[in-house]
Amino acid sequence: MSILPQLVINSIIAGSIYTLVALGFNLIYGATKFFNLAHGVLAVVGGYTVFFFFKEWGWNLYLAVLLGVILAGFIGYLLDKFIYFPLRRRGASGMVLLVASLGAFTAIQAIIAILFTSQFQTLAQNVGGQTIYEITNAVITQTQVIILVLGLAILAALAWVLKYTLFGKAVKAISDDEEVARIVGINTDKIIGWVFFIGSAIAGLAGIMVGFDTGIEPVMGMALLLKGVIGAIIGGVGSLIGGVLGSFLLGFVENFGIWKISGEWKDAIAFLLLIIFLLFRPKGIIQK
Amino acid sequence: MDYLIHLATLFSIYAILGLSLNLVVGFTGLLSVTHAAFYGIGAYTTAILLTKFGMNFFTSLIIGMIITGVIAYLIGLVLSRFKGDYYALVSFGFNIIVFSVFLNWQALTRGPLGIPGIAKPSLLSAGWRIDFNTNILFLALAIVFLLLSWSLSSSITSSSFGRVLKAIREDEKAIQVFGYYTPGYKLTIFVMAAMMAAVAGSLFASYISFIDPSTFTLNESIFILAIIILGGMASHRGSIVGALFLILLPEILRFVGFPSDIAAQMRQVVYGLILVLLMLYRPQGLFGEFRF
Repeated sequence: MSILPQLVINSIIAGSIYTLVALGFNLIYGATKFFNLAHGVLAVVGGYTVFFFFKEWGWNLYLAVLLGVILAGFIGYLLDKFIYFPLRRRGASGMVLLVASLGAFTAIQAIIAILFTSQFQTLAQNVGGQTIYEITNAVITQTQVIILVLGLAILAALAWVLKYTLFGKAVKAISDDEEVARIVGINTDKIIGWVFFIGSAIAGLAGIMVGFDTGIEPVMGMALLLKGVIGAIIGGVGSLIGGVLGSFLLGFVENFGIWKISGEWKDAIAFLLLIIFLLFRPKGIIQK
Repeated sequence: MDYLIHLATLFSIYAILGLSLNLVVGFTGLLSVTHAAFYGIGAYTTAILLTKFGMNFFTSLIIGMIITGVIAYLIGLVLSRFKGDYYALVSFGFNIIVFSVFLNWQALTRGPLGIPGIAKPSLLSAGWRIDFNTNILFLALAIVFLLLSWSLSSSITSSSFGRVLKAIREDEKAIQVFGYYTPGYKLTIFVMAAMMAAVAGSLFASYISFIDPSTFTLNESIFILAIIILGGMASHRGSIVGALFLILLPEILRFVGFPSDIAAQMRQVVYGLILVLLMLYRPQGLFGEFRF
């Protein structure tokens, strides 16, 4: 019996989770041109909000998920309003913004650890009792099917919004040149605030999905963030489709990489892939 | 009293880490977040040489510096291709890769189990034998190394070599026009700083007498970065003050009445907020002369 089909499925699931992180990261990077490291911790915020409302308070699942997504988006928005926006207005360099986002990341992660302890928690209620589908020797859980479908749906929705709405066009204008966008009358600060909300909300959703698939812990944000960032970069920063391709490539390389060696090497493999790309194809798969 | 000696020893170790990282980040302007990797390589070299081969601490320290230097050279070669955000991100990556090696090369490092029973240093010369087996003697040793690091760092930064580093930070193109081969300078200071971090690692391994991979994570690198950002970029005094403050912070929190596991997290909250506030209001840190 070959484990090949299972590896393919695992790669696709990993790829779709990374895609969600990469989508939000790409959106924010496009508009602001800095590495928002706090993006990862918003996934943790999303996951723990659902944990709190759904598992501890026993609220309705869909309501809890909705709250998780909105809260993650809202915190992302607040970070922009109170930290990144003042810094941008002062013309701070990308490095200052990067360090500030690192600080926000560290603080929020620790606050979550204080509130919910550092323990690993799962969001799923019937652990091990999930519906499982079998496809030629490989299994895929219902949660994973939902992850896949939802991931694709959000990708499609985001692509549509960016392409056909006025908001999307404004985002594109800001990504090309913020100053010119402002001159032609786009309220760039407001649009960027929305970009933070949407990007962070998608990250929150990614965290929730991870929580249902395996589980959440306060420190998961960094790993998730780095995977999303790697996906975004090897795909081509600023390109939506590139981010998706990059994330799936990362998912496949990671899962096939550990075919013969221990799974603990996953992170190292991911970064090796990034470094190889940066050295030999620095602009990523889709070059802009 | 013992407790104060313990804090002072930890402070000395982190001050060495801060001083060395400041050479790269503050003086040369390269946002490297991989210092814990070199700290770890130094610590593991000492741990393995002492427990497996019964080697003298000081020999292991020198071997650790050499090994770290070689690895830092290779990492620096790759890093020198990048700048700005990408430099920081790739340095993240190297920290994670080195951490994975500590965790997974179990034949050498015993993986997550860690290496226990690392001996304290002893010095044997001309019939004299000094064992640094009490905490106060170890502290003295750590302070000697701190003073050595301090004087090395200041002599680097006040030399013509140091002036080239600052020039690279301010305007790399301009200094290239004057005929300086800047990648060579960047690589040299990166390797030197890594070797100093290895010294801190050797001291740490021998002092705590047990190490495991969890000490050398990316978070540790961020912590060291916080030391110099708080204290001040491109300021030796800043590195010292930053280390002092961040080492004392959890103790202060514990003193105020937080239980120790919450105090550890509170420290993260406080220094995270400090990073944010400094970036907003004083990006060069307390004593710093340079801002990104």
